[in-house]
Amino acid sequence: MSGYLGVIIYLGFIVAFAVVSLAVARLLRPHRPFAAKLETYECGARPIGEAWVQFPVGFYLVALVFIVFDALAVFLFPWVLALRGLGVWGVAAMLLFLSIIALGWLYAYRERILEWQ
Amino acid sequence: MFDSTFDAVVPLLCVILAALAAMGAEAFRARGERMPIGGLGIVGLAGAGVSSVLLWNRNAASFGVILADNFGLFVTLVLVVVGVLTIMFSSQVVRRDALPAGEYYALVLFAIAGMIMMATANDLLVIFLALEILSVAVYVLTGIRRDDQRATEAAFKYFLLGAFSSAFFLYGIAFTYGVAGSTRLDRVGAYLAAQSMSDSPLILMALALLLVGFAFKISAVPFHMWTPDAYEGAPAIVTGFMSTGVKAAAFAAFARVFLSAFEPFSADWAPIVWIIAALTMILGTVVGVAQSNLKRMLAYSSIAHGGYLLVGLVAANEVGKAAILFYLLAYAVTNLAAFGVIALLGSRDRGNDELRDYAGLWHTRPALAALMTVCLLSLGGLPPTVGFIGKWYIFSAAVSAGYYGLAIIGVLTSVVSVFFYLRVVVMMYMAEREVAAAMPPRVTGVSMAALAFAIFVIVYLGVMPTQVLDLASASIATIF
Amino acid sequence: MPLLTLSWLLPLAGAIGLLLVGNADGRRNGAIRWLTLAVSLATLAVTAAVWAGFDPAVAEFQFVERVPWIPAFGIDYSLGVDGISLLLVVLTAFLTPIALLSSWGSIERKVKEFSIFMLALEAAMIGVFVALDLFLFYVFWDAMLVPMYFLIGIWGYDRRIYAAIKFMLYTMAGSVLMLVAILGLAYLHSAATGRYSFDLLALSTLDIAPQTEMWFFLAFTVAFAIKVPLFPFHTWLPDAHVEAPTAGSVILAGVLLKMGTYGLLRFSFPLFPEAAASFAPWLALLAVVGIIYGALVAMVQPDMKKLVAYSSVSHLGFVVLGICAMNAQGVQGAIYLMLAHGVSTGGLFLMVGMLSDRRHTRLIGEYGGLKAVVPRLSAAFLIITLASIGLPMLNGFPGEFLIMLGAFRWDPRFVVAAGLGVILSAVYMLWMVQRVYYGEVRHGENATLPDLHPREWASVLPICAMAVVMGVFPTLFLRPMEASVEALVQQMQATQTLRAMDNPHPPAPRTPTPGNWTAMRPVTRILYSLSRPHSGPSRAERGQKRWLPAKGSGGYQGAVPLGWLIGIGN
Repeated sequence: MSGYLGVIIYLGFIVAFAVVSLAVARLLRPHRPFAAKLETYECGARPIGEAWVQFPVGFYLVALVFIVFDALAVFLFPWVLALRGLGVWGVAAMLLFLSIIALGWLYAYRERILEWQ
Repeated sequence: MFDSTFDAVVPLLCVILAALAAMGAEAFRARGERMPIGGLGIVGLAGAGVSSVLLWNRNAASFGVILADNFGLFVTLVLVVVGVLTIMFSSQVVRRDALPAGEYYALVLFAIAGMIMMATANDLLVIFLALEILSVAVYVLTGIRRDDQRATEAAFKYFLLGAFSSAFFLYGIAFTYGVAGSTRLDRVGAYLAAQSMSDSPLILMALALLLVGFAFKISAVPFHMWTPDAYEGAPAIVTGFMSTGVKAAAFAAFARVFLSAFEPFSADWAPIVWIIAALTMILGTVVGVAQSNLKRMLAYSSIAHGGYLLVGLVAANEVGKAAILFYLLAYAVTNLAAFGVIALLGSRDRGNDELRDYAGLWHTRPALAALMTVCLLSLGGLPPTVGFIGKWYIFSAAVSAGYYGLAIIGVLTSVVSVFFYLRVVVMMYMAEREVAAAMPPRVTGVSMAALAFAIFVIVYLGVMPTQVLDLASASIATIF
Repeated sequence: MPLLTLSWLLPLAGAIGLLLVGNADGRRNGAIRWLTLAVSLATLAVTAAVWAGFDPAVAEFQFVERVPWIPAFGIDYSLGVDGISLLLVVLTAFLTPIALLSSWGSIERKVKEFSIFMLALEAAMIGVFVALDLFLFYVFWDAMLVPMYFLIGIWGYDRRIYAAIKFMLYTMAGSVLMLVAILGLAYLHSAATGRYSFDLLALSTLDIAPQTEMWFFLAFTVAFAIKVPLFPFHTWLPDAHVEAPTAGSVILAGVLLKMGTYGLLRFSFPLFPEAAASFAPWLALLAVVGIIYGALVAMVQPDMKKLVAYSSVSHLGFVVLGICAMNAQGVQGAIYLMLAHGVSTGGLFLMVGMLSDRRHTRLIGEYGGLKAVVPRLSAAFLIITLASIGLPMLNGFPGEFLIMLGAFRWDPRFVVAAGLGVILSAVYMLWMVQRVYYGEVRHGENATLPDLHPREWASVLPICAMAVVMGVFPTLFLRPMEASVEALVQQMQATQTLRAMDNPHPPAPRTPTPGNWTAMRPVTRILYSLSRPHSGPSRAERGQKRWLPAKGSGGYQGAVPLGWLIGIGN
């Protein structure tokens, strides 16, 4: 367990820093509240309606498709760097992977989740 | 890197390709066109079955993380049977409830792919991956009737608690990696064997977290809370699918992790699993007695059956390991057939799954009533059905390992469970039909064939279990 | 030819065959009834062939069939009969056609399913009696519950569902504990020899630690005691018997109860001789309590079926007493009474069923003076009643007499109480006959009841004939069981003596009570000496009352003086 001693000390520093800096700020700063300052955005822009509102479900679907492509990109970058060593197999494997993703995208397209009306 | 053999993933690939094909077919079909997507799935599953048989005894390994040993292949075959039966039952349900066919079958197939992966995985991270593949698919399947409030609620509950348990599981993997420096089960096992004298809290932590993660998935007490709601809310056939397939896959992984990698620490986990097994059997049956909804009753019964499987895990001797495999098969076929009957009796606007809906079924659908009776007797463990052989096998494992207490709890709870299975039989055979009750729907040939096959398996293995028993004990001989 | 396999497979094949017959509108009811009857008669013929081919001089199992079934666990499909089980098999096959005949007119609904369940039940019952493998035995034992459950639950009387579930759960609760004990035995066998075995003979040679043996004995015995039913476990019986349809009651009383006593005799006692020896007095005590209790409760029943049901509790107490005595007379008497009780109580249920078919009530108070209205039914009823009471020349007597003899040699105190039970049985049975058949016709409907019609004759006649034959020629039925019973008793005693020698501190033998012999009444003394052909027992002999009759008392000769006693030479 001795290896964790550093972690514990570090943890102590983190907590101490937060507490100390907040406490010091509290002691030093002036305290002059007025209405606009106490609102949600603290800048005069007024919040409208409830926080729980319904978004069109299309947003979620587009977001999901976007995440898929995002993840794809994350896989593509290291693949490019390592491609020289991987050879033909590397290309084939990535093509397979891309075609599976493409099938999913095709499915999404045919189900018209990208169309807005 | 790519010179390792692909053999071990062939069954997995068959199922995944079928799932992709189902998705593609759905994408390319013209509006209103009907496609035999279920048939596609059966072809893929058949491919998986055949390739599993061909892989038998070869101990093929792919990428070092998928291991097609006989244990995994046995479970794969069980899962193939579960998949085929599910698809056959579904054909009628999908049409009746106007479910989106392409999505439905694709999700079922993806779930099965995840299950097969889980059963053959040799790496904790791959197990986690497989767990997520199957879980996500099953969450969606649970709520596939979007207009049904209860189904939505069930899906949401299942999803939240499932995600929760996944976190536990992942945390356990992290601890294991921290201790052993690998997530590969063989390396973890080798490391732990060398450490078997130590009582490092990290190892116990990893053990406990993994145990909780698995216990959630197999719905063992006290991590069973999601089960009744999820099982009751989901469409009956999906309930059947997840109460058998998910449980089988999770148990396979559970057994593999705890009986191989964590075997050196069995003295630590066996007493805990003992208690969990006893609690699971007792609570599953005792609460099951009070249910008036058939799906909910069978949900509790499936909790109890999880307890019987845990008995095999506790016993952990040769007999116990083989008994787990045999019991998985027995339970999967029987429970799926029972849920199949429930699914076939439902109608689009009404589940017909209350106990009183079964009053006088004997008079209106004698064949269904008789088949349901066989399923219930098998679940209750009465000869000459496969359920009896399975229970006998499990309890003989417990007795030969010296766990008389568990065996006695097990047999007594199975008597109590017979009480509530009999309530259904009483309803079907001895209660008069309600005058206002609608005539139960007709059953299509495909569903009837699936039911007949399941019943044949139940009775045949109840009378002639030898080959499968030998197969089960041969399967565990190659590993552990 | 594998006769024993045939004997249980034939009814099962009949049941499966009936499954395939379409009978949605009840058009084929008649044909189905005849077919079922034919199958059950064929089964009777097969069992008769077994009896005919049975060699009474051989003590071992005969007609043995042995095929590996689940070799990995040493489970065999092994069948066989010896003197103990042979006649029970025949009894089963004898009662089934009679039960079918009795339901000919009273079962109108779902005849096909009724027939299927009856045949399946017969198959399972015969299987229980012929199985030599404990696993196989358990399979039949549990499988038998299902058809009986349906018979009670679907075709029974008002509280049928309650009775059916109670019957099923009681029996299962006992039998699952037996399952654990069976598994434990198999495991001990594997620990001792390296391989599992469920074979009765292999397991009976197993050496078990006394503590374990006690638990196993209790697990087996509770399962069988529930089935018998022994006194505190009997509460399922009145419900099941009363609510079952006539055919179900006949089979329940005639055969199912015998499975409990058969199990004690076949499994509990030979497998665990030492534990059996130490528990036997307690079992006998329960049996005697059951004898008295059953008789007293029967006496106050207003319902005929319930009366007969409680009389079964009483009679089965005698059987258990005979088994506990574990000497040749006691055991032979027990088996004989099992057979006799099957015939006569089956007959009583049959005729109570006939009355209730006619009048749709079973209350004794609703009847009276039937002797003049239905003289033939009354005569048959009286014969069976007398048989049930144990009148000499009828079938109840030899069994009860032998049991008393055997029990007397073991511990006379039980006999005193059991004798009281005999008297009480005469009281309640005759009182019922008096109230139902004698006196004035008090209810108008009773005056016009029809007497026996031909189909009823067909079921009543064999019962009455059997009651008389068994009463007059007991040796006919005692002879086949002699060798096996003798072997069983000797084996039990040998094991005990052997184990007693191993044990450095044997339990002190019970103090002989010298005053006993001389204090006996003359009649008792005669009966006692009859059981020992040589002379009165010496004091040394009486010192070892517990199952260890003295050397020199020779082979078993109980049947001979018995035949002489009732005036029939053999």
